[in-house]
Amino acid sequence: MNALIQLIERVVEWFGGLARFCVLALVLLVATNVILRYLFSIGPVSLQELEWHLISPIALIGLSYSMKHRADVRVDIFYDKFSSRKQGVVDLITAIVTIAIGVYICWLGIKYVGQSYNLQEGSPDPGGLPMRYLLKGFIPFGFGLLVLQGVADIMRSILKITEAKVSVELEPNVSVKEVDRGSAV
Amino acid sequence: MTGNEWIILGMIAGFLSMMIIGIPVAISLAVSGFVAGYLGFGPLLFNLMPARLYGVVTNYTLLAIPLFVFMGVMLEKSRVAEDMLETIGKAMGGVNGGMGLAIILVGVLMGASTGIVGATVVTVGLLTLPVLMRRGYHPSIACGTICASGTLGQIIPPSLVLILLSDIVGESVGTLFAAAFIPGLVLAVIYILYLLILGLVKPDWVPAIPKEERALTSKSQLFKDLLRNVCPPLLLVVAVLGSIVGGVAAPTEAASMGALGAILLAAFMKRLNRVMLKEVLHGTLTISAMVFFILLCAQPFSLAFRGLGGEQVIHGFFDILPGGEFGAIIFLMALLFILGFFLEWIEISYIALPMFLPVFSNYGTDMVWLAILVAMNLQMSFLTPPFGWALFFLKGVVPPGISIKHIYLGAIPFVILQLCALLVLFNFPSLATWLPKAIGW
Amino acid sequence: KGDERFNVRMTNAYPPGSPFYVQGPGSPMDFCEKVTAMSDGRLNINHFAAGELIPALEGFNAVSSGTIEMNAANAYFWAGKIPAAQFFTTVPFGLNTQGMNAWLYHGGGMELWHELYEPHGLIAFPMGNTGVQMTGWFRKPVETVADLKGLKMRIPGLAGKVYSELGVTVRLLPGGEIFPALERGVIDAAEFVGPYQDRRLGLHKAAKYYYTTGWHEPTNVTELLINKDVWDSFPKDLQMIVKMAAQASVTESLSWSESVNAEALKDLVENEGVIAQPLPQEIVSNLKEATFDTLSSMAAADPQTKKVYDSFMKFREKHSSWAALSEKPFLNL
Ligand code: NA
Ligand code: NA
Repeated sequence: MNALIQLIERVVEWFGGLARFCVLALVLLVATNVILRYLFSIGPVSLQELEWHLISPIALIGLSYSMKHRADVRVDIFYDKFSSRKQGVVDLITAIVTIAIGVYICWLGIKYVGQSYNLQEGSPDPGGLPMRYLLKGFIPFGFGLLVLQGVADIMRSILKITEAKVSVELEPNVSVKEVDRGSAV
Repeated sequence: MTGNEWIILGMIAGFLSMMIIGIPVAISLAVSGFVAGYLGFGPLLFNLMPARLYGVVTNYTLLAIPLFVFMGVMLEKSRVAEDMLETIGKAMGGVNGGMGLAIILVGVLMGASTGIVGATVVTVGLLTLPVLMRRGYHPSIACGTICASGTLGQIIPPSLVLILLSDIVGESVGTLFAAAFIPGLVLAVIYILYLLILGLVKPDWVPAIPKEERALTSKSQLFKDLLRNVCPPLLLVVAVLGSIVGGVAAPTEAASMGALGAILLAAFMKRLNRVMLKEVLHGTLTISAMVFFILLCAQPFSLAFRGLGGEQVIHGFFDILPGGEFGAIIFLMALLFILGFFLEWIEISYIALPMFLPVFSNYGTDMVWLAILVAMNLQMSFLTPPFGWALFFLKGVVPPGISIKHIYLGAIPFVILQLCALLVLFNFPSLATWLPKAIGW
Repeated sequence: KGDERFNVRMTNAYPPGSPFYVQGPGSPMDFCEKVTAMSDGRLNINHFAAGELIPALEGFNAVSSGTIEMNAANAYFWAGKIPAAQFFTTVPFGLNTQGMNAWLYHGGGMELWHELYEPHGLIAFPMGNTGVQMTGWFRKPVETVADLKGLKMRIPGLAGKVYSELGVTVRLLPGGEIFPALERGVIDAAEFVGPYQDRRLGLHKAAKYYYTTGWHEPTNVTELLINKDVWDSFPKDLQMIVKMAAQASVTESLSWSESVNAEALKDLVENEGVIAQPLPQEIVSNLKEATFDTLSSMAAADPQTKKVYDSFMKFREKHSSWAALSEKPFLNL
């Protein structure tokens, strides 16, 4: 089970790397666009469109990534006081409904992308970017990854329920804050 | 009550109870939305879900989220922000609440460059909360101050709320921007007064930096520190604001100037390296995704609310609408306040406002004034527990040991202050209407 | 003729409150009310502005897949899916409103439109017209083509492409950011709609030079998009009601637009110090040349576009010679 969890999370982490790259690309792209336009009056429509095209992978691939790094927001008034076992049960429910939501949206998303693909949809602006279905494709893809992470979370919460000891080794309880302070990078 | 009305109530109750036992907010929203929608109108309407999600992830104005978060994380990782706050704390001398004032100032400045609450709250929270905690601030006070200053961007122009409202009430964007300016500042001043008074009444909650420690730094050293630690990050804010004012960048893309500036600043301080950059990207991604997670998962909830005829439910309130312009405004404010407990501001303004507008145009109400009242009210909805976006966003970045309870408790005084500000604006409409006339906007 | 009742939804590409495109005489919401009244409630259309059910530009896909029954927008928003859709809203240097109506209703335009949409399970009708638009707002006067070089302008779509051929730096910006950007000089010029709508956005407070005329949008057709299966399920009388209500909306929105634009322009010039003047002839000629190059290369790239282009251009030629001897001398009287 541990091996499978690790395999899944390696996949999520790998795509997360792609999204991290998109963050850097976004920062540099927007800044470059601003400077080029101000100084040299250069501003191709395609590069302007690329700006908001980059939000899509950041937001959608980011879903599973933030889930893996426990960067989701929860109301912890009671949760923090629960025993490890009870927390495991809440985590299990969370993982199950996450999978359900992910599968449903993924399925809806595939139809949606298919429609766009059949139209060979591109930007309505001349000079804009083609293949808008790729951009839309991040919806099923991102939620698909979320399902995958949900599977890992199910196994992890089962481990948490059955034996509290495992948690030390796997650090499922690492809070987002510590991760965000860079300890897990 | 009809079947659908029961389902709407059930959806809200289900959402709150899932949330309360510790299921992530985003997941609770999505599940309750899908289940209620499915019970009410079946699967068909959910075919619209991908379109709504696509609308969120391709929303141009949301560019500001990753850009500002990047700036914030970069400043945090290069410890620039920490040094700045410490120095300001020292410079404030014996004034209790001094560092809190710095936060409000940062909130105002960031608010003047974006209207995205998520971006401001997480950035300010990330930068300031650890320092405030170490300096012995009461967690609730610190959290409340951050959330409240983070929402100032909603009323201080440029702001998304004002842009949307301008469309709904039919006033120009410029007029509303000008009208919101003074009320926004008044609000900031009220926050500042609150902290200063708190500093007198409860000095332990907002302590100044101890005298002994301040004594370690000489006047001239402090002056140097101010130059070295406060100027660079302040320059970033100037870069963001300046690029808007100077006509270099549009409001949304201005955030990139801050992000770029933060990279240069870190490089200049010789703190930029590969490992650090990777950490910054990691932090930016998790935090931005956390914000988007909630925004995305709110879509099934909003769609279900609409599909179940939520707007008719609100319309039903009209039967008890009291007479007179005064009564109608009070009623609208109360309705917005209550809806703010569980709906997001876009949904609130789309549903509630168009219904009220004909009523007010009959009374000849000043639409500019009304719009600012509404904007202030919507801004307040970001702060009202249990469902306040600012509260959740901050929860995503707090250090260990701070629970949502601290955040909730901290927000309440600010909600009350907001109500006071609303009352002031209600009694003195010229606070909103004077400036647009004076500058001819 | 039965007493079967139909309850359908209409989404809109414009946000709540927008005059012409959402509310006001001849607007989509007005259309919905007309249809309900004319059909005595047998056809009831629930209207949703942009963002209420779906984001602004998702109407095509939603109606095509049958999740939503009707949508109000401009056909050129779908140019990324069907390039020829551009021709059913407006064409730069194309036909004015009279000519456009003539082409659509009696020159084969509507048949082409239906033919184009049929494979997508859609049918469309004109449901409004805001008439001629304005060139836009400029912070500084433009006198020669050289003044256009490096000029930063907010201008979406086909016209943006044409401007860029003359060296303009095209900036895409959402409606709400036009004002702050223009006011601060992030952009030097911006195109929005016409005097009434532009004044509402406050653009005259950001730039004083208001150039005319709308060479890029000599007319502007609002599109009523209907799912074909839903349309076919309507009895004949309801179909006729929808068609006639749409046609009435074209007249009504246009006359409302002409009336309020006249008032707004007068107010802008007399009370707000706006300088309204036609674009210099040299610039217009260059724009015209660039437009026809762009249009013919669009037609060459896509057989569907070619077919519509040919019909449109042929009609334009005929109509222009008529207008040259009828409308044009009258305007010079
Ligand atoms: Na703002
Ligand atoms: Na709230």
